[in-house]
Amino acid sequence: MSGDHGGATTALSARVRHVEALLEQRGLVDPVELDRALTAYLAKASPASGARVVARSWVDEDFRQRLLDNANLALPEVGLSMGGGLQEQRLKVVANTAAAHNVIVCTLCSCYPIALLGPSPSWYKSEGYRSRVVRDPRGVLHEFGYDVPADVEITVWDASAESRHMVLPRRPVGTDGLSEQELAGLVTRNGLIGVAAV
Amino acid sequence: MADRFPPGTRVRTRRTDPPHHTRLPRYARGAVGTVLEPEGSSPLADDRARGLPAHTQTVYTVRFDARELFGEGEHSVMLALFESYLQEEL
Amino acid sequence: MARINDVGGVEGFELPQPELDEPAFHADWEAHVFAMNRALLGAGVYNLDEFRDAIERMPPAEYLASSYYEKWFHAVTTLCVQKGVLSHDEVHGG
Repeated sequence: MSGDHGGATTALSARVRHVEALLEQRGLVDPVELDRALTAYLAKASPASGARVVARSWVDEDFRQRLLDNANLALPEVGLSMGGGLQEQRLKVVANTAAAHNVIVCTLCSCYPIALLGPSPSWYKSEGYRSRVVRDPRGVLHEFGYDVPADVEITVWDASAESRHMVLPRRPVGTDGLSEQELAGLVTRNGLIGVAAV
Repeated sequence: MADRFPPGTRVRTRRTDPPHHTRLPRYARGAVGTVLEPEGSSPLADDRARGLPAHTQTVYTVRFDARELFGEGEHSVMLALFESYLQEEL
Repeated sequence: MARINDVGGVEGFELPQPELDEPAFHADWEAHVFAMNRALLGAGVYNLDEFRDAIERMPPAEYLASSYYEKWFHAVTTLCVQKGVLSHDEVHGG
């Protein structure tokens, strides 16, 4: 990240405040409403929400099927949506299996299911990840510490239009006794992007 | 309106490099893939980005072999592409 | 010529070291840019394709040197001026 040090950040921060004040004068933004909307939005938009969806699909096969068929229709069952105040985005959930692994990227910009997972990590938005994962997913996943078995086929989903994607990881072995909530605790943001197994 | 490319259709992407915003990445131009499914419809981004009246088009999920795109690799790449980016590959 | 944002399959970029427990925003101004953009999209000042286009039109060197939310702020101000919501002088001082 550039510009994260001292003076440059202070100047930028002042410019942002300046523009926000101008937009407030024009009646286009209301800082109080802006704060309220952001807080409400971020409350649901976090990897914990994605993890909840995954855990539910691990314990409820019917829900899993509905999620894979039409994620937008299934999300409200767990109190979530892809709306977040703006127009609802299409979500496609792609499931890993013993034979297939999925990983998501947006090579052109930074499309990501923010309404469900929250703002994406910096590496996801980097030129390094965007340029490389589409061409050498196995190599990139190795750098994340995840070696996909050689007989597992990898599919890279490049989100180049209005749809967003989320990976449904496989349920780890030896988790039969865990509650849905405990299962959700096993799911990581990296797993939902597809650069980790879970 | 029926979708022009049913699932399983082999399609080739446009090769042109347009002088404006587009959602067809360079690495996937002039490449042959297979339609997985229509995933919905949207106003064409290329037009909407330029403030032009944008006709709504079907967007397809299209599967490509990495080898077709990069000349190497064993994986697949899925792209969501507007209908006008595609033509049937006979 | 394809634009600087179109990096899929391009050689030469390094994968950055992932940050442990990275927060949603690294500074307050980033959250403000994020929220401002949502408000402007919601108000119909510009659409998402115009927003992406404004980022892609950045000069390549500036694009590569800017942090993520600096790019967003660039697009927000560019489009507000382009749409006549703000004047160039207001945004850039003068």
